[in-house]
Amino acid sequence: METNSRLQTHMALSLSRSRDPKVRGSGYASEVVTKAPAWHGLVAWDMLLNGMTTGLFLVAAISELTVPDVFTSVANIAYPIALVLLLLDLLFLVFDLGDALRFHHMLRVFKPSAPMSLGTWCLTIYSLPLTVAAAISLVPVQWTTLETIRKIAVLIALLPALGSAVYKGVLLSTNSQPGWKNARWLGGYLTNSAFMLGCAEMLVLSLLMKNASAVAMLRPALGLLLGLNLVVLCLLVSDLRATLSRLYTRLEFFGVGTISAGAGLLVPVGLLLVTGSSLFILSAVTLILLGSLFIRFVIVALPHAST
Amino acid sequence: MPGLGTSLGFGAASNHPRDLANSDCILVMGSNMAESHPVGFHWPVLAQHRGAVLIHVDPRFTRTSAVADVFVKIRAGTDIAFLGGIIHYILEHERYFKEYVVHYTNAATLVADEYCEKDDMGLFAGFNRATGTYDLRPGAWEYACDTGPDGVRCLPQTDPTLQHPMCVLQILKRHYARYTPQAVSRTCGCRPEEVVKVAELLCRNSGRERTGAIAYALGWTQHSTGAQMIRAAAIIQLLLGNVGRPGGGVLALRGHACIQGATDIPVLFDTLPGYLPQPRAVSGHATLAEYLANGKSYLSRRGDVPNGLWKEDAVRGVWHDMPKFAVSLLKAWYGKAATRENDYRYEWLPKIDEDLSEMSYFFKMHKGHIRGTFLMGQNPAVGGPNARLHRDALRRLEWLVVRDFFEIESASFWYADPEGVDPKTVPTEIFLLPAASVIEKNGSFTNTERMIQWHARAVSAPGDCRSDAWFAYHLGKRLKDLYRDSSLERDAAIQHLTWDYAGDDSGTDAEPDTEKVLREINGYHLGERRQLRGPTELASDGSTACGCWIYCGIFPEKTTNLARAKSNQLHATTVYSNWAWAWPENKRIMYNRASADPLGRPWSERKKLVWWDEAAQRWTGHDVPDFEIDKAPDYRPAADAQGMAAIGGDAPFRMHPDGRGWLYVPYGLKDGPLPIFYEPLESPFLNTLVSQQSDPLTVVPADPMNQIISPGDPAYPLIATTYRLTEHYLTGAMSRFDSWLGELQPEMFVEISHELARERGAANGDWVVVSTPRGEIEARVLVTPRLKPVIVDGRPAHTVGMPIHWGYSGETVGAIVNDLSALSLDPNADIHGAKSFGCQLRVGRLQHGTPTPLPVAPMPSTADPIPDTPTAAQPAGRFRHGK
Amino acid sequence: MASKEIEVAALGQKSDPPRGRLSAILGRLIDPFRRGTPPEPRPPTGFFTDTTVCIGCKACEVACKQWNQLAADGFHWSGNSYDNTEALSATSWRHVKFIEQFPPDNSPSRLVSDNFQSFGTEFSLEALLNEPKEGRWLMMSDVCKHCVTAPCQQACPTGAIIHTEFENVFIQPDICNGCSSCISACPFGVITRSSIDGHSHKCTLCYDRQRDGLVPACAKACPTESIQFGPVDQLRERARKRVEELHRRGVTAAHLYGDTASESYSRLNSFYLLVDRPSVYGLPDNPFNPWLHMKGDYARALIGGFTAIVALLAVLFVLGG
Repeated sequence: METNSRLQTHMALSLSRSRDPKVRGSGYASEVVTKAPAWHGLVAWDMLLNGMTTGLFLVAAISELTVPDVFTSVANIAYPIALVLLLLDLLFLVFDLGDALRFHHMLRVFKPSAPMSLGTWCLTIYSLPLTVAAAISLVPVQWTTLETIRKIAVLIALLPALGSAVYKGVLLSTNSQPGWKNARWLGGYLTNSAFMLGCAEMLVLSLLMKNASAVAMLRPALGLLLGLNLVVLCLLVSDLRATLSRLYTRLEFFGVGTISAGAGLLVPVGLLLVTGSSLFILSAVTLILLGSLFIRFVIVALPHAST
Repeated sequence: MPGLGTSLGFGAASNHPRDLANSDCILVMGSNMAESHPVGFHWPVLAQHRGAVLIHVDPRFTRTSAVADVFVKIRAGTDIAFLGGIIHYILEHERYFKEYVVHYTNAATLVADEYCEKDDMGLFAGFNRATGTYDLRPGAWEYACDTGPDGVRCLPQTDPTLQHPMCVLQILKRHYARYTPQAVSRTCGCRPEEVVKVAELLCRNSGRERTGAIAYALGWTQHSTGAQMIRAAAIIQLLLGNVGRPGGGVLALRGHACIQGATDIPVLFDTLPGYLPQPRAVSGHATLAEYLANGKSYLSRRGDVPNGLWKEDAVRGVWHDMPKFAVSLLKAWYGKAATRENDYRYEWLPKIDEDLSEMSYFFKMHKGHIRGTFLMGQNPAVGGPNARLHRDALRRLEWLVVRDFFEIESASFWYADPEGVDPKTVPTEIFLLPAASVIEKNGSFTNTERMIQWHARAVSAPGDCRSDAWFAYHLGKRLKDLYRDSSLERDAAIQHLTWDYAGDDSGTDAEPDTEKVLREINGYHLGERRQLRGPTELASDGSTACGCWIYCGIFPEKTTNLARAKSNQLHATTVYSNWAWAWPENKRIMYNRASADPLGRPWSERKKLVWWDEAAQRWTGHDVPDFEIDKAPDYRPAADAQGMAAIGGDAPFRMHPDGRGWLYVPYGLKDGPLPIFYEPLESPFLNTLVSQQSDPLTVVPADPMNQIISPGDPAYPLIATTYRLTEHYLTGAMSRFDSWLGELQPEMFVEISHELARERGAANGDWVVVSTPRGEIEARVLVTPRLKPVIVDGRPAHTVGMPIHWGYSGETVGAIVNDLSALSLDPNADIHGAKSFGCQLRVGRLQHGTPTPLPVAPMPSTADPIPDTPTAAQPAGRFRHGK
Repeated sequence: MASKEIEVAALGQKSDPPRGRLSAILGRLIDPFRRGTPPEPRPPTGFFTDTTVCIGCKACEVACKQWNQLAADGFHWSGNSYDNTEALSATSWRHVKFIEQFPPDNSPSRLVSDNFQSFGTEFSLEALLNEPKEGRWLMMSDVCKHCVTAPCQQACPTGAIIHTEFENVFIQPDICNGCSSCISACPFGVITRSSIDGHSHKCTLCYDRQRDGLVPACAKACPTESIQFGPVDQLRERARKRVEELHRRGVTAAHLYGDTASESYSRLNSFYLLVDRPSVYGLPDNPFNPWLHMKGDYARALIGGFTAIVALLAVLFVLGG
């Protein structure tokens, strides 16, 4: 499969090279040197889920710690959902390995200078207190000891959660792949995205729980975060300008832009600003999620499209 | 082989590949050494590191050209013209090594008047248009001789001043006068400056202080004028004084690991071991006495004078001892049954009456005259020139035994032939016997440098695989059993053949002891029951036996096999004397007497190899001296001296009766004493140097399946050339069954230039069909600037390059290139012209199924004079053959 | 020397004793976490590849495959000169590249020089003897560069990729879990993940042979000593001398690639002598170590995060009271 397409690419290149006298003699100069890792759909989903779980947890934690009266109830639902999302994310990560049965080898060394290692440890350490917090959140009884433990667990999980959100983008930008290697703001975008997604999820949860005060606070917050995210996205796009212009025509570029930035960020802002109706909020969040997923697919495809 | 044999003495490389590291200039021509001999190519690269200049002259820019310092592109088949241009340059500017030439070559020898008809005709005296050969005429091509004191000797007249118009040097000058740089450029397609460049580089790097080497391979031998191309190189090296010197000589790079051995201990029809001639059914060979008296060159003589120069071979020099070699050989073969009274059973040696070389043999097979064949490690269905004719020939056999590792094309032709032959129509019964590989048996290789290396079995052969030695040995045993009770005279030879090579186990499956074979090849003294230590111990009175006189000395004691020697101690910079053993007598550089001047002093300190030690009164040096060890440089033979005593102390080429290297060859080659540029048999160009288009003595078997393209035929305007790639070996019988090699070059392809591609509308990777009157093949095309055409006589000479490695068996399969080539035999060595023939190319594919049917040869008549094999010689039951 | 290899082969080989199923499962869980004593560092070894004497024979490819018993990659004819291997892969750890460089068609030099007279005043013999060849066919045997600071080693999260005691980069095959971080990190496109076992593979610099005092298989097989193996400082010395020699002979484009560190990349222990721009050979002209960006990228990520946190807190405080 892979070899046949490589043959075809080579033949095509050979053909064009052999006809054009100016290009003859340039050897392998027109070929891509690096090899693309086999990261495809699973990784795009992983990026989304990662942002969703860490974002949800962090926004829930921050909200709960600042305005506990309003947000504690929402947080109690948020933590278990974050845990589920995390477990799903971890499952995708394990399946994406070449040898899934050796996933535990990731914990063999602690190597913070390697983003992948840092991320693995952060996710692992994040999962433990999150499990505790989620478990306690689901317990119907209210004991102060449990509450304290829960609070401590949430506090412990804050830093690893942030680390988990941060590492993903840095993992992709700290390598030699065409596109990714220029994406200086990818980490910034994904981390910012995490908060934006988390806020969106909290907003939906608040809506479903009919927590009007929570909704009232989160709606403008989300609007603000969407705006910030747009700024960071533009920074990312300017990093990737050279690669994108090589891969997409002007028309394609505007199409991609419209779907991702337009539908995924601007339209939701509009929807949120217009009214606080549930329908508009839910559609906004759906667009945000779809738009974010779409952007991640575009990011993941960059090195493969370059070949 | 005949090219070097006639020029220098032995038809083998004079130097060894490692010696190339001592060269100051290496000309690789008729060879793609880096691709075909990559391991040996280490030495030219080492020479480059030491400052040598590496020149590659070839029709294609290959991996050798990539590393060479100088590359000159010439049209395939025009090598003699180019070499002639170099000879012209050397003679015109008098750059030859004067002292060497005067003393060590026959430059000063006078030639009798009749050697050349008219120079621009391109023919020599005695050409008979009716027969297409040169007649035997008195004095033809011969030296001008004085009669010796006994009335029968021929003493060549000489002019040491080299001024006499009939001395060889002046003849050379006149003969090569037309090979000016412009004339050469016109036919070769190179620039005239390039001829000057190569000639100048060779000249600058020859002489006392510097030496140059010429290395060639099948790029020369596989032409109709192959032997003469090699002759031209030998002339250059003799003129420049490079033969017999370190870093010099002519290096014949052989095409197989053991092909040197295959001609030393030959499977050739016309040679006995040690290059003794196979007796013919002619009056001069009727008895042993006549055979020996007429000597080695009886069959290749030109002058039909009873005691002409050709007879000197039997009188002077090494070949004077031919009786010792021949009698010892007969004693080795027939043992006690061979006695002086019965002429050592000379009568049992087959006397041949026709050409039975490989191509002639297959042509007879194609005509239905051959009933059965053994093929051992050979794949004629793919490797035979005009492979379709070869496959047709195989289909006419009644039985065929194939011994090989895999089911090669020559074993599967009956069902797998791409022409779609119906197996039901193939009568041949095929026995495919698995063979053991080199690491699974004990034995030896004799390689390019005449070196015999022993290899010991590393692993046992799997299953039923057996070595060829096992097969031949047990076949012989069974034949002897079958013939044991016969009283027919013609069966006596097999009955009395010495055949005691049994190994340690004695079962029917036992491997023979190949060291016993080597001991017999070395030779032994019957009375004293010991091994011989060298060829000087051979006798013609039946007291010695020797399987091959040039190998005598390799096994000097019963337990000393010098082929196993493994000392890697280097003698000075040139010679590993104690690694294995080289013939003759472990001399690594032949003719090395020429590395010292006529007084025995080295030509220079830098290039000393062998020299005369005045104090010890013997020759000494870095190599075994190729000379009688105690013969002083100032020794001059008496007029009636014989054998080695007839060779002077200043005559390095002791195989020749005059002890000199032959610039001009008075006998030994069928098509002339000097190389003339002839066009290849099939050429889009007319000969612009002489009016004789191509070599008139090329033999072309006439057959509808073997049609030849006429010169200049516009239907076939392209030049096909065939060659090897590093990644595969020969017909792919070993390499295309190995996926590690197969993936390096997985498909057959055809190389053409951008210019030709544009003309034909071909893009890189397209399918193309290449056709000749013999057949058509299809393959992918590789468009490359390396095959850019040269301009010949005003128009481009387009070359179509095709590697030879594909067939229809193996992990990767592809078109058989030899379906295109023709069956033709060069006059001297019976080799075909694979390196330059005509073809046409078009974009497209073959029509599915068989290509345009060519006329098929008619089936032979059943009224055949071949006698039936007696039932006593057939295995009981099983199969019949005969009627 | 071949005799050394016969000696080594004669030494016995130790293999693991057989295990029961439970023991095997526990082994898989626990063994990767065991740590042995790291061997004493030895003088760094590597390759110096002199591409000017490469004859493109591919003995290096085959020797490597044979020694390491790697599967063939499949048969496909590329049409790209004589390079049918096309790229390094999990089962091709050596890859010979071919670059044909010839002047465009119909260049005048191939036409017969009508004005040529056998050498006289207009015509300089010395210039003729020294004129360069009309075209080139560059050949180069590509392999892992064994970078002194290797991005693959920096990326590897399981610690599978290490620098051996010979300072060669080595993937421990029993540790790698195929996460592909190394593949994305390598700027030379060397490492590839195998579709057969899911792990990443590349040249080991014949670590097993080196430990027994032997020379790597490719260097041993190379007939023209294009691939040279030995202590790296000796190789660098030799390489510099060779470049000087080539400059003296008029090959002014000869240069070394990877023998010294650049601003953006460390030294390579497997370095090359090239006669054209590295990109012509399929090598990055200016290799860049991605880790130079890492700190900045983390900083930007944190900025992205903190701006979000600040915005969120601001809204919560303002609206939450």
